[in-house]
Amino acid sequence: MFKRSLSLFWGLLVVLALALSACGPKPSTPTAAATEVPTAAPQKTEAPTAAPQKYVTSSGFECPQPEPRLEVTSKELNLFVWTEYIPTEWKECFSMVYGVKINHDEYSSNEEMYAKLEKGGTNYDLVQPTDYIVSLMIQKGMLQKLDKSKLFFLENMLPPFMNQPFDPNNEYTVPYQAGTDAIVYNAKTVQTPPQKWADLWNPEYAGRMVFLDDSRVIIGMTLLTLGYDVNTRDPNQLQQAKEKLKQLIPNVKLFDSDSPKTALIAGDVDLGVTWTGEAYLAQQEVPEITYVYPEEGAILWQDNWAIPTGAPHPDAAYAWLNYTMQGNMFWLMLRDFPYINPNKAALEFAKANHPDIYEPYINSPITNPPLEVFEKGHRITDVGEALPLYDQIWTEVKSGQ
Amino acid sequence: MLRTLRENRPLQGFLLILPTLVFMVGLLIIPLMLTLVVSFGRRSPDGGVIFTFSLENYLRLLGYERNCPSGEAVCFNPLYLQILWRSITLAFNTTVLVIVLAYPLAYYIARAPARWRTALLFMVLVPMWTNFVIRVYAWMMILRKEGVINLALGWVAHQLGIPFQPLEMLYTPGAVLVGMVYEFLPFMILPIYTSLEKIDLSMYEAAADLGANPWRTFLRVTLPLSMPGVVAGTILVFVPVMGTFVVSDLLGGRQVVLVGNLIQRQFLDARDAPFGSAASLVLMVMTLIVTYFYTRKFGFGEEIIAA
Repeated sequence: MFKRSLSLFWGLLVVLALALSACGPKPSTPTAAATEVPTAAPQKTEAPTAAPQKYVTSSGFECPQPEPRLEVTSKELNLFVWTEYIPTEWKECFSMVYGVKINHDEYSSNEEMYAKLEKGGTNYDLVQPTDYIVSLMIQKGMLQKLDKSKLFFLENMLPPFMNQPFDPNNEYTVPYQAGTDAIVYNAKTVQTPPQKWADLWNPEYAGRMVFLDDSRVIIGMTLLTLGYDVNTRDPNQLQQAKEKLKQLIPNVKLFDSDSPKTALIAGDVDLGVTWTGEAYLAQQEVPEITYVYPEEGAILWQDNWAIPTGAPHPDAAYAWLNYTMQGNMFWLMLRDFPYINPNKAALEFAKANHPDIYEPYINSPITNPPLEVFEKGHRITDVGEALPLYDQIWTEVKSGQ
Repeated sequence: MLRTLRENRPLQGFLLILPTLVFMVGLLIIPLMLTLVVSFGRRSPDGGVIFTFSLENYLRLLGYERNCPSGEAVCFNPLYLQILWRSITLAFNTTVLVIVLAYPLAYYIARAPARWRTALLFMVLVPMWTNFVIRVYAWMMILRKEGVINLALGWVAHQLGIPFQPLEMLYTPGAVLVGMVYEFLPFMILPIYTSLEKIDLSMYEAAADLGANPWRTFLRVTLPLSMPGVVAGTILVFVPVMGTFVVSDLLGGRQVVLVGNLIQRQFLDARDAPFGSAASLVLMVMTLIVTYFYTRKFGFGEEIIAA
């Protein structure tokens, strides 16, 4: 009797397990998930003389030809990129066209990427560092110099995004996407729209804001309201910023750097400090959500491609850069990741072939900000020995003392 | 060779524990030693570690502050002590609530007909098959302004014609406590169940024969005999809660800084590995002290092995 009920129990267990695995929630892209694109590599890649073979991705996207096609002997390419930050078609097309298997790891903060690379023992071929961390990585010898004779797309890049202070001659990096951190609010529920960073201290907003959990951005904008530099290392100025920021905390409902749009869309908060892409996507869900470039100047940032020192497959890395930066490939970024696009060829391609995607992009002040936003904007740079003080202030302010 | 192995019992024993030994030394002892060494070091301006022997990091945790608002060279800043205290308080509250909720349930399962027990225990365990973080996200759906609870309350209020203002539940300390209790409940139910189930029923008969009423029987027989389970459960709950920060990040909106957050930030945002190492060691020592006094008072809880 006991045995029977036991076997019944096991049977039940198996059935439940199957049911759960079939319909249970699946973490589709958690951070640092190592997803692999199967190499649907064609059997005969050695037929360049005949008409080029046509490749179509599982989503029905017809892969363009690489122009030019580079010599690639590597069989693999190890990408280390931001969570959800490259179109899936790129990976499929690249592996089909070049017969290279792509290994894909993700990170959700520059610090996470930096910590992993600094420890050593990684074998990534391409990373996507943001401006302030680029200078640190260059200084530490973590990036290798790019061979510009192998970069055929450089003339596609718009000049405002080249030769940035963190890498003056683009010796180590090429631009990927740019964006801003600024104020967002829901016009349906907010009576007095904020115009500048200093307006956030309005008691009307008590408990209604979502902030990035980013010490540099939030302390930085507080410094701006005091008339100081966003990258100050002066402890006195930072102390003043701390005292001022403490008064702002009652207005903050939550800190979220992963998906601040969720709380905005769900109506848990009505205002916040967030970045380009989140604001754009939130606005598509709730049209009343408005993005404001504060009068003191928004925070500007730029993500870049770079090849780490000791990358095992640099040939594949160069081929990837050239292929994905082509206008007829990079326009996919406009469709999937609405940030500020630095690729002229992609914009022209989208204008000619996909006006339904190009028009909203070019007409939105979120993705296509007025020129003065760039002129008035501020860039975060590494603050060296002052960083622990920033972190301590952040901890202290959040602890609500 | 094989022959010596067959006859050499100490060698056999050594070979059997060798894998565990390598594992423990390689992945526990050596990293701990490294953490200790780094915790006495200093942060270099670019975020590396300068190896020296300095107690600065520990002093800083205890409130020794060099960037004083009033301009003095050194002052007292209780910031990190408060964070430690907050973590202990939260762990304590969670543990007490979990005991209060788990005990009756474990009792009910232990007294249920034998054929039902497995199924009931199984139901306690099934939710654990889903990823920890996903279950926390489920709580976000339940607690948010337009979440399940508020929708249900709103509907009821609408039917009754009462004006309804959605309750603010998500991103509050209460939400963090609810999430913690939910996550760690099974770790208390199982050991308490194990010790309750082991109680010989003749004990109750003896208590009844000697004239004890049910309440007295519970206090004098059931409770003392199930204490090992409660102790084991307390250790299984209290220790991990001390270091957890995912729940407070997601349900508390990152407003509640716990010692787990503090440590994580040192290794990522602040790139201050020496200070982070010191904080991890302090957390460990603190947990050890609390556990030590607790087990001195209540015994070690043999059920920790059974669980």
